[in-house]
Amino acid sequence: MLFRVDARPSPITAWTLSWFLFAAGIALYFYTAHNRHIENPDDRVVPGLHQLGQGIAGAFTRPDTDDQDGPAVGFTQSMIFTDTVASAKRFVWSMLLLVPAVILGLHMGMFPVIGQFFLRFILFFDKIIALSVLPILFIAFGIDELAKIMLIVIGVTPTIILDTVNMTKGVPPEQVVKGFTLGAHDFGVSYLIVLKQILPRVLNSIRLNLKAIMLFLFAGEMIASQDGLAFRIALLRRHMGMNVIIPYVLWVALLLFLVDLSMRVLNRKMHPWFHE
Amino acid sequence: MIRLENICVVYSTKKVLDNLNLTIEAGEFISVCGQTGCGKSTMLRLILGAERPTSGRVLIEGRELPRPDRHRGYVPQKYSLFPDRTVIDNITFGPEMEEFGILGRLTPAFRRRRRELRDEAHRFLRQMGLHESDANKYPDQLSGGMQQRVAIAQALIMRPKILLMDEAFSALDPATRLDMQRLVRKLWAETGTTILFVTHNVAEAVYLGTRVVGLGKARVLFDVSVPDSARDQDRERFEKIVEEASLLATSGERLEFEVPEFST
Repeated sequence: MLFRVDARPSPITAWTLSWFLFAAGIALYFYTAHNRHIENPDDRVVPGLHQLGQGIAGAFTRPDTDDQDGPAVGFTQSMIFTDTVASAKRFVWSMLLLVPAVILGLHMGMFPVIGQFFLRFILFFDKIIALSVLPILFIAFGIDELAKIMLIVIGVTPTIILDTVNMTKGVPPEQVVKGFTLGAHDFGVSYLIVLKQILPRVLNSIRLNLKAIMLFLFAGEMIASQDGLAFRIALLRRHMGMNVIIPYVLWVALLLFLVDLSMRVLNRKMHPWFHE
Repeated sequence: MIRLENICVVYSTKKVLDNLNLTIEAGEFISVCGQTGCGKSTMLRLILGAERPTSGRVLIEGRELPRPDRHRGYVPQKYSLFPDRTVIDNITFGPEMEEFGILGRLTPAFRRRRRELRDEAHRFLRQMGLHESDANKYPDQLSGGMQQRVAIAQALIMRPKILLMDEAFSALDPATRLDMQRLVRKLWAETGTTILFVTHNVAEAVYLGTRVVGLGKARVLFDVSVPDSARDQDRERFEKIVEEASLLATSGERLEFEVPEFST
């Protein structure tokens, strides 16, 4: 049954199978937490349910981890809110900077002269490990927002540009010729025929790169920042604040999932003709 | 009038067209047949302006036109429609693009004109034998034959002087194909557009064209006018023409082709 390619598990079996590892993981976690708390009731490495609850409550009611015992604040001043907003701002900026990347890729793919001008340079940039230039970025742009956004730009845009170039070149030449015979000129063909056709694929490519964007965002925040989700996680490492770190990790995963989901839904709504 | 003068096309080392000369008069329905790789699609792309000859000249109304433009319609075998636009938007794309460009679409005049263009597109749809209910479908919701009908409408709404069709019906089943052939003959008779139809199917070439050009070994093998009688009354002899023409197209040699028994 296990190693049969023609196995057809029943719906109940399939459901059980797909949730089993979640259940096992959670069970193992609380088993470990329980055992460690028998030895040391103040264990902070594997916080139990009560500690996690305290951590989550703290994240929603305290402005900072440093004053654990201070007065409760409103949600909009709580650390989870301010951290999420700070990270979201950087995320939105990096997403906006992908728009010129897509436009550049389109032009490189459509116009051979522009393609020749940029292609080699961007291929070179694509090979640079973005994190290795982080010190250069901090020196060049300072350690504030610009350096962090530049890190994301250098890390992700070459991939998006090259991807867009390939998609542009993948549009059948018949479509371009057809455009000309219907009275379109170079920009009409580029924007109203080619870009429109590749847009759903471009959005999918950005979706695939969401993790890379978040990776560079978090790297920047962990190294030099005063706020943000990754800043909080890095800060709490020093306090061994696992009861906040674990909820934060899950919260980030949920956010990323929601962004991905909304992009997928948007893509389907915008391009009903597109089938993957 | 289209003139091909001493055309040579060489791809790396392979000679695709070798010193080809051909004149096409306005209003002709010329079908070009020959086997795969004989250079017939290359010839069409030369006239379209999508490709340039290695040497020689392509003259359209006495001028060399280096790029495809709105005077030469194009219906390829595949990718003939924009997959991201509905049937009606595919048909109106040409006039909208020509009249308003990219930014002109933002003006209020565009909305008004768009309504007129849509009405016109609906007329074309009916002429092509499509239903009103197909207007808002996307191309991949249509059968191959329906897609090609839309593609022809899309090209004809521009009222091109020349319509270039590249194996346009080759992917269709025989019954649909016959319908499409009848439709194209009818449209040609009604509009007087010069049509150049490329096909590997000799029967189709003879049925459609007023003139059939057979290509092979990078050269013109035969070039023959098809009298109306061969199509209409004299079915048997017409079949014979088909047979002879196919023999000619497959033998690699240039043969004189005479059709003395048909009078026009």
